[in-house]
Amino acid sequence: MELEKILKKVSKPGRYTGGEYGQIIKDKEKISARVAFCFPDSYEIGMSNLGMRVLYHSLNLMPDVWCERAFSPLPDMENEMRANGIPLYALETFDSVKDFDFMAITLQYELCYTNALNLIDLAGLPLRASERDESFPLVIGGGPCTYNAEPLCEFFDAFSIGEGEEALCEMVRLYIDMKKSGRYSKKEYLRELSHINGFYVPSLYEVEYGSDGAVSAYRPLYPDVPEKVVKRIIGNMDKAPYPDKFVMPYIETVHDRITEEVYRGCIRGCRFCQAGMVYRPVREKSPDTVNDQIKCLYENTGYEEASLLSLSVSDYSELSLLTEKLLSWTDEKKVNLSLPSLRADTFSKELMERISHVRQSGLTFAPEAGTPRLRDAINKNVTEEEILSACRLAFEGGKNSVKLYFMLGLPTETEQDLAGIAALAKTVVDEYYKCEKRVKGKNVQVTVSCACFIPKPFTAFQWDAQDSIESLTEKQNYVRGLITDKRIKFNYHDARASRVEAALARGDRKMSKVLIEARKLGMSFDSWDEHFSYEKWEKAFAQAGLDMGFYANRAIPADAVLPWDMIDIGVTKAFLKREYDKSRKSEPTPNCKEKCSGCGANRLGGVTKWCPKISE
Amino acid sequence: MVPENIRIKFHKKGRLIYISHLDLCRTVCPAMIRAKIPLWYTEGFNPHPKMVFAQPLPLFVESRCELLDIKITEPTPCEEIAKRLRQALTDDLYVEEVYPAKAKFQEIEYAKYTVCGDESFADVACGVFDSEHLTVEKKGKSGTVSTDILPQIKSVQRTGEKEFECVLSASASSYLNPMLFCKAIAEKAGIQDGEPDVRIIRTGWQKKDMSEFR
Ligand code: SF4
Repeated sequence: MELEKILKKVSKPGRYTGGEYGQIIKDKEKISARVAFCFPDSYEIGMSNLGMRVLYHSLNLMPDVWCERAFSPLPDMENEMRANGIPLYALETFDSVKDFDFMAITLQYELCYTNALNLIDLAGLPLRASERDESFPLVIGGGPCTYNAEPLCEFFDAFSIGEGEEALCEMVRLYIDMKKSGRYSKKEYLRELSHINGFYVPSLYEVEYGSDGAVSAYRPLYPDVPEKVVKRIIGNMDKAPYPDKFVMPYIETVHDRITEEVYRGCIRGCRFCQAGMVYRPVREKSPDTVNDQIKCLYENTGYEEASLLSLSVSDYSELSLLTEKLLSWTDEKKVNLSLPSLRADTFSKELMERISHVRQSGLTFAPEAGTPRLRDAINKNVTEEEILSACRLAFEGGKNSVKLYFMLGLPTETEQDLAGIAALAKTVVDEYYKCEKRVKGKNVQVTVSCACFIPKPFTAFQWDAQDSIESLTEKQNYVRGLITDKRIKFNYHDARASRVEAALARGDRKMSKVLIEARKLGMSFDSWDEHFSYEKWEKAFAQAGLDMGFYANRAIPADAVLPWDMIDIGVTKAFLKREYDKSRKSEPTPNCKEKCSGCGANRLGGVTKWCPKISE
Repeated sequence: MVPENIRIKFHKKGRLIYISHLDLCRTVCPAMIRAKIPLWYTEGFNPHPKMVFAQPLPLFVESRCELLDIKITEPTPCEEIAKRLRQALTDDLYVEEVYPAKAKFQEIEYAKYTVCGDESFADVACGVFDSEHLTVEKKGKSGTVSTDILPQIKSVQRTGEKEFECVLSASASSYLNPMLFCKAIAEKAGIQDGEPDVRIIRTGWQKKDMSEFR
């Protein structure tokens, strides 16, 4: 077979062979619909993605549906596949994705858009949805980027907005029902799909542009198509489907361990953070559910590491009880617990002690900004004293390295804020040497890592302009120049990649032209530094006749129609606007635990932790 | 209780031929936990289960005789271990037999392989002893060196039209990679770029006196 031959030529062929323990195999004869769940990045990255695991499990719970997996082949494999006429195939059966009923592509970050298009192309499908008739699978998008899916509208038949566990099953069920009753046509199906909550069918909407080129209006083409698509959420996290086993990769992936989601949403309202808004309201699993699920996964995977996953684990209301339950058996079984995303202000001594016999992957804090003023403006409500006391605890516990994450180019940022970054790092260094109980004889290592601010849809800063590349570079140099201490290491992100990310994040439908050009230029793996080419992106924008700056560097007027206005994430535009206004006054907003600030997410219902009930 | 030495004989085939030895090692450990094998852990700062493979299998080579030694802390019938491991692994890593480990891996002198290619390839392979040398170029740190691998070939025997069996050195001091052997044959047979299209299966082990090692 051709495939066998090329597998011997490419690097890490284990990426392309499937057959892992835990993969789901079904009898094709008993299947009414087949879904190829495609992850537009490498196998190693995709297999570590919890969302993919959860949806693979949920879809396969339906006896007449079979969900398989596909990932982006790396360039060496892609070349071999194209040269030998091997189309994209699913790992369980090696069957061509083209012969499936659904091609579901998860969109986790903007820079994977080129890979998403490449997958459609590799599968042998025409890129544009309008050019695909009944003989091709339906191409469905999901994942965080679909909150503004406009740049991808031309290529996808529909988008699943919000949490997919139930929605995707309903989508496939409708398909099977229509096929069985003979009512099915792609057109009819998509129309009916638009009636299911949480599905956005872009071809059923028209968009108008003003003289400045910005979106001025959008409207559904038919009266039965909803004007706004409300995102889906899982109402009760204790009852939501969660995998009882994982597909066990043979090759090393990014996270070879049990990942357990503890809760969804975030009580914090960082004004730059999209995840913090789009996953609201906060819905927790009970400690018993979490404990039982981890136990079950331990038995069925054999992994000796379990990681609690959520936006800010230490905000979990029953963390003490949960760690107690877990530690009652994990120690004996030699299972290591890891708690990423700990916040400095909740990094208590008690917590530190509890997890002291738990392996920890180094100490990281994300103050995001250098001064209390700017931290208030972005609503990152952590004080210098909280950061320092958390560092002190860690130093006393024997650690001597700290990573600090910051963002450059935040709205309202001044030179003083930038200087504050260097100053804060220096204070942490000094704190180490002040700390009497530190392990003596070692030097401290503080790493300052600076990302670039990217205005994202559905954040308080969605209207803000991104700094120009020149300005961001200048700021990087400025901060670097202020850091003279050898014990402080300075890292920063490529401002050019951040600019492309910003343009795609706030893109409208016209952006599809850019993506077509990008495909023509053979672009892929743009989220990998070694494959990203800013020059190619500039070329793609130029050839499409669009200005990257218009999308990335323009401040959008507050009353403007936004390209993503047809999506309703629960959190209201009015709330985001209030947050925007407060940010200009450097006024913080309390978190949901302290006080509800009326973001609107409680309208979505569900068993929420902190939200006030809505009166009917 | 003194930990008991147990030997696991398993196959590595199908999709598993694309998985390196290192990845196989990582795969086996969680499988043991899934199978609830009472593994003995090393003591010390970073305890880990004791597992020793007879020999790594090169990528793309199949096997019906991989051997893995483990230590267990609770007496468990071998058949029970085999049954549980079969459930915890895919058929591409089929556990054929589990038995108390007696002979030491150091006693292994040769490995036996079945090679399936085409007729002319088998012809050339079976005539390998007609020449006095079989040299291969090995790329090392200090440039390319030629080595004569003929002394490491114990026997080659035709077993079918397109198939032969060979016995190659496989001791700690002298080891001949079957892929390298096939590459040398391919070059001799004049196959372009020296990449033979063959299927290689490791089928057994032998001691110095040519008796079977198990
Ligand atoms: S409704 Fe109130 S409590 Fe609920 S997520 Fe919004 S701000 Fe927080």
